[in-house]
Amino acid sequence: MHRYKFVLYRPIQFLPVLFGISVVTFVLVRFIPGDPARVLLGARATPTAIANIRRQYGLDEPMWLQYFYFLKNLLNGEMGKSILYKIDVLKLILTRIEPTLVLVLASVVLSVLIAVPMAALAARNHGRFADHAVRVISTAGIGFPPFWLGLMLIILFSVNLGLLPVSGYGETLGAKVAHLVLPSLTIALSLSTVLTRSLRAAMVEGLRSDVATAARARGMPERVVFWRHVVPNSMVPTINLLAVNIGWLIGGTVVIESVFAIPGIGQLLVRAIFSRDYMVVQGVAMVLACATVLINLIADIVTVAADPRVKL
Amino acid sequence: MSAPVLSVRDLTVTLNLPGAAPRMLLDKVSLELGKGEVLGLVGESGSGKSLFCRTLVRLLPSRNMRITDGRILLGDEDLARASEAQMLDVRGGRIGMIFQNPTSHLDPVMTIGDQLTEGIRFHQGLDARAARKAAVAILHQIGFPEPERQFDAYPHEFSGGMRQRAMIGVALSCNPEILIADEPTTALDVTIQAQILQLLMDIRRERDLSIILITHDLGIVAQTCDCIAVMREGRLVEQGRKRDLLRAPAHPYTKALIGSHPSMPPPSTGQGAVAPKAIGTPADKPLLEVDDVNVRFAGTGSLFGGRSGAVHAVAGVSLKILPGETVGIVGESGSGKSTLARAILGLTPIASGNVVFDGTSLREDRAAFLGRLRRETAMVFQDPYNALNPRLSIGDMLTEVLKVQGRTPAADIPARVGELLDLVDLGREFAARRPRSMSGGQCQRAGIARALAVNPRLIIADESTAALDVTIQAQILDLFRVLKRKMNLTLLFIAHDLAIVRSLCDRVVVMHRGHIVEQGASAQVFEHPAEPYTQALIRAIPDIDPDKPLLPQAAREVA
Repeated sequence: MHRYKFVLYRPIQFLPVLFGISVVTFVLVRFIPGDPARVLLGARATPTAIANIRRQYGLDEPMWLQYFYFLKNLLNGEMGKSILYKIDVLKLILTRIEPTLVLVLASVVLSVLIAVPMAALAARNHGRFADHAVRVISTAGIGFPPFWLGLMLIILFSVNLGLLPVSGYGETLGAKVAHLVLPSLTIALSLSTVLTRSLRAAMVEGLRSDVATAARARGMPERVVFWRHVVPNSMVPTINLLAVNIGWLIGGTVVIESVFAIPGIGQLLVRAIFSRDYMVVQGVAMVLACATVLINLIADIVTVAADPRVKL
Repeated sequence: MSAPVLSVRDLTVTLNLPGAAPRMLLDKVSLELGKGEVLGLVGESGSGKSLFCRTLVRLLPSRNMRITDGRILLGDEDLARASEAQMLDVRGGRIGMIFQNPTSHLDPVMTIGDQLTEGIRFHQGLDARAARKAAVAILHQIGFPEPERQFDAYPHEFSGGMRQRAMIGVALSCNPEILIADEPTTALDVTIQAQILQLLMDIRRERDLSIILITHDLGIVAQTCDCIAVMREGRLVEQGRKRDLLRAPAHPYTKALIGSHPSMPPPSTGQGAVAPKAIGTPADKPLLEVDDVNVRFAGTGSLFGGRSGAVHAVAGVSLKILPGETVGIVGESGSGKSTLARAILGLTPIASGNVVFDGTSLREDRAAFLGRLRRETAMVFQDPYNALNPRLSIGDMLTEVLKVQGRTPAADIPARVGELLDLVDLGREFAARRPRSMSGGQCQRAGIARALAVNPRLIIADESTAALDVTIQAQILDLFRVLKRKMNLTLLFIAHDLAIVRSLCDRVVVMHRGHIVEQGASAQVFEHPAEPYTQALIRAIPDIDPDKPLLPQAAREVA
């Protein structure tokens, strides 16, 4: 099991990364013109009232001291208090994280479910009609912006066919699932195009590889050659591509959450940026950074499990 | 010879590329393979010998290739017309195949055992338990010391020789009548090669197996086969019993093939490489002096079980090379010969010791040493294609070297490029060609021209002929001989192939596990090896004379 030892020390290597991210987001968010107190109190607030609010949230302190407090709080597991929502940032994030997590997870599963058969179909018919069709579809898929695709899906399934809710997020499990079908399909359709192309290329190469020749030479039917030898070998390079894309997805659900009015992290982040809710922006950034780091760790674990040669 | 198990008649394979005239890749090839017989199929790369074997099991490498004529009779079944379903039973079940490169042909993400049982379960319909038992028995038979445990190991956990054994096991797993072995030992060291050949012969005896052995090494054929078939450009140019064919080859190509076998005495006696030359009179100042050099690689930790800590790749090696001398370093893979070359060139840091090039010492002035080395030595690499920039024509490549070197006036460069091409026997029109449009031998000549461009005093050639066909190999060796004579080159020639070193080098250094085990004049070392390791190494070379048997003693002693 020593091949998995990296799981123990990898988090230590991630600490400097997280530290860097905390500094950058902390400084950047304060460079955005505007003032949270002014946003909160409106245009006609008196200077005294603004000063009060600023003192209350510690915004009158020098920046380095503010950062010091931020770090100190972080070590205690606190992220400060939201100026807009008046509650603890961590609690706020936790209430909003569920839709985003489920959305990302569902999209990833869906996109793999779309990509693997598509890539398989294309690779096994390399150079023939099915291959070209898959390539055209996946190239077109990259060309369609997700928000447009999302709107089209809403028009088709919700407005015209009336099968699924237009937007929002449900309370019960059934309602939640119903609300997430279209958004995750939207993301999956775009994400699967990238995966399909990468998988297809790896599978085409795999079908020509010596491993496949050797399997055929011992009498394995093409179906076995493909699913038992080619597919496992072509998964390896795609794992990392998927990990990179998931990291990008977590921050990128903003658009989809807006289109479908899903109360997730992305929406929270956008709102917080507009209202200069520093604490929330920092908190969300830290959570997203941790999530990305975690996903890469998971990708590494999966890679090690999928390829016995890999040592990390 | 008993009744043939396999009889091929007029087998023709045609390549039909859209927009091009059909090309015959195999042209009416006919041959027979007797029960329990070993047939050696020889020929250069591109001669169609691998294609022939893949055609036998109908695994043509491209959809554009078709069997257009002929029959492949396995018993009374014609494989050229059998259905795909019938072929699934034939492949593995009746004809097993092993390949040159076990590393790329074994599935890296599947255990050795699973790859063995896959065929067993498919062809014999055994359940997982019984298949495992059968596979373990095979692993034991093909020389895995701990078959139960090694069943669950992955290919990368084994050495090249063990991987080739595993591949033989996979081929044997379904009890085939015929085994096709495509260059099964080309990628292996001589001693391992002897072991694998021994294994093949043992299996053949135990199972009464018929074997088609594809090889470019006539020595192997002479040692193992009953019959020989020679292929060239898709045609079978000659076939016959081994002794008849080796004694009296009829076709000129067969004669050339036998003539270029390195175990024969070198053709040129002018400056006979083997002829002992006065070496190492103390008055001679060595051009290169390697003094007690040690190279260590940081240990890979606990990954290899107990063997943690530093790996001693080169341990206390001392060596002197005199001007004009050709010194060969031989050894098996992992013996440290390439590491030593890299250390001499300053590419790998040395832990202790010193290298002195013509009075300039690595220890004392590293920058000056490297500077002189870069200017006055050159390297020729193993893989002729990958060592050349695919985007540069040969002329541009040579021009670049001459420009960087800055010793040739710009106006003279085109003339110098022409001279260099003449030196390596490439026509001047090659200046405009790119590596992709050239053969391996031509690329290697270009590589040598590039090395000569700097007017080097020392050329280091690292396995420079290992990737070439034998006849091409012989030509490149001849080129080295001519250059040596013409330009008084000093040559450090690294190779795993002892026969080549013997035919080219004045002096030979035998390395084993980072140490020099023996060194001396080539003739001396090869005819009267003093060390047991050298003796074993020499005995493992398959001789082209079938009356000088390689097997089984050599293999046993080295193992």
